[in-house]
Amino acid sequence: MGTFIQLVIDGLSAGSIYAALALAIVLVNQATGLINFAQGGMAVLAAYFAYSFIQWGVPLILAILLSILVSFVLGALIERFLMRRFEQGDPDTAVVVTIGLLTLITGLCGWIWSFNNLQFPSLFPVQNVNILGAVVSIRSIGTTLVIVGIMILLQLLFIGTKLGLALRAVAVNPQSAAFSGLPVGRLLMVGWGLAAGLGAIAGALIAPSQTLTPGMMDAALVYALAAVILGGMSSPIGVVLAAWMIGVLENLAAVYVPFIGYDLKIAVPFILIFIVLIVRPQGLFGRKEVVRV
Amino acid sequence: MATATQFFAKPWVRWAIIGLVVVLMIVLPLILPAFANQTLARIGVFAVAVLGLNVVMGYTGQVSLGQIFFVGVGAYVTAYGVNNDWNIALVFILAVLIPGVIGLLIALAAARLGGLAIAMVTIALPLIGVPLAKRLSEFTGGSQGSSARFSAAPEWTGLYDDQWQLYIVIAIAGIVFLLTRNLVHGKYGRAFAIVKGNEAVASSMGISPYRYKVLAFTIASLIGGVSGFLYMVVVQYTSPETMSFGHSITLLASMVIGGAGSILGSLLGGAYYVLAPQLTNAVDSSLTAVLQGVILLVILFVLPGGLVSLPRLWRRRKNEHRGMPAGGAGSAQAATATIAPTAPAYVVPDTSAPEPIPPTQSQEKRQDT
Repeated sequence: MGTFIQLVIDGLSAGSIYAALALAIVLVNQATGLINFAQGGMAVLAAYFAYSFIQWGVPLILAILLSILVSFVLGALIERFLMRRFEQGDPDTAVVVTIGLLTLITGLCGWIWSFNNLQFPSLFPVQNVNILGAVVSIRSIGTTLVIVGIMILLQLLFIGTKLGLALRAVAVNPQSAAFSGLPVGRLLMVGWGLAAGLGAIAGALIAPSQTLTPGMMDAALVYALAAVILGGMSSPIGVVLAAWMIGVLENLAAVYVPFIGYDLKIAVPFILIFIVLIVRPQGLFGRKEVVRV
Repeated sequence: MATATQFFAKPWVRWAIIGLVVVLMIVLPLILPAFANQTLARIGVFAVAVLGLNVVMGYTGQVSLGQIFFVGVGAYVTAYGVNNDWNIALVFILAVLIPGVIGLLIALAAARLGGLAIAMVTIALPLIGVPLAKRLSEFTGGSQGSSARFSAAPEWTGLYDDQWQLYIVIAIAGIVFLLTRNLVHGKYGRAFAIVKGNEAVASSMGISPYRYKVLAFTIASLIGGVSGFLYMVVVQYTSPETMSFGHSITLLASMVIGGAGSILGSLLGGAYYVLAPQLTNAVDSSLTAVLQGVILLVILFVLPGGLVSLPRLWRRRKNEHRGMPAGGAGSAQAATATIAPTAPAYVVPDTSAPEPIPPTQSQEKRQDT
């Protein structure tokens, strides 16, 4: 029972990181209709920024906040000067542009900070607590709580503020939004910036446990994409729940299903996707898209 | 330019160019150095892989991130067959059929899903394929990989190995390209195009989007299998790394860089896949990834339609220079007309394969808002 609880909480913590990245992907997808493969790469870059700030003597929490800010600006700039050229064109080309961006960012990180593993300090104390006989690290609990907090903040932003309303309007119909006087271009920049900021949080949360490398987010990105599909594009809460489900299930499957083990646990979310999508093509929580002819 | 176009449209000129290409294909391997031959053979291998991806993605509009998986399966089947001394013809047939059957089974389920969901199911193929290949070490040799030497030049030919291998690649890849060209320029190509354009319209015309998606995906897997066989002919070694996710993504990038929905673009994509890493390595090996990213972004920034749209862009520039109206119906005409000089062997002016819409107009509009 102790192992079980431990696995579940560790799974939730891993799932939380997938969730942060998945939310970033949903944010961009809702605004521009494309999947940003560079989201993970941008998160890694943010983690490297935070690392550099720490090296310069900035306190950890401040360094992370600074890296979020820098990521926000960088995300907005990438939207304005790179992605905007491709947003109206062939979606396949836009996707490949984000792949190019991923290659570029990974290469830059490796070039500037080397491909070696770097130690990134943890935001939470490296201690364990006893819950119902299970030894659980404070980091796992902290990571999960941070993501829950961010989810609530995001929900408040989108439902409770004028900016959120404008962002949603652009997502639903950019042309109508432009006609009603919204600065669509600027809002798209904000959307990308927010996504990059979210990614930066994910980066800061995952870096301590995995050590900082340019390819640190590759697996997380795949899980995040799986969570996005499983939860349904149109439902942020669904995406977070799906990410948690993936984190927990893959942890349990790796330990309790002998054939799967640690090397094949990446198959778990996709088997799940396969089953779910055949039964509910719009995802677990998504709404069915109605296409008008 | 117009006279040049007319010149190239004449039947005897086309046949002459086709003949010239065939003669070049026969002569070049004999005179080129070994390294060039090997590089050309590798380009052929990956051009076939990109061609398969083009069938499902460029022509039918279904994003597939798993093409490299079928290449890997084809390569493993070839290695296993050769190492067990099966007849080479049988090995080839199996190396094509087994990926095809796997592709068919996956497509039967995946084609039910729309849009990005197919991308997500196919993204899983290389991700699961790599650990699975390590696990099934009886067949695959585990992480060590497995090698198979069967493509040494026979005595009677008097050729060097690299020449013989290049001939095999040219022959098989040539047949596959020709078959695919006929496929996408015929009835099936038109069906693929309408499925890509609008599924509802396709259904209303009696074309089942589901059936054609499955068909396109299966054909892509078959072609992937051919590519895997050729990979073993040239490289003679495969490991789980062959079908890694990174390679799958590079394959996708190659397709878009070459030109989505274009036969010639597949060839250019294969060239990009092989040459870009060689080029960036030669410049500075510590900057490989950075340079590859930059090359990719620059090409797409300048040519969103891929390398294959270069003549069209050049043509439009020229028209603008002369003060002639560019775009609209004119540019559509230019699109079909100007490809002809560069690809006389493959391209017939044909409306069934829609060229990507010239994006400049919409972008100009966009920048104003």
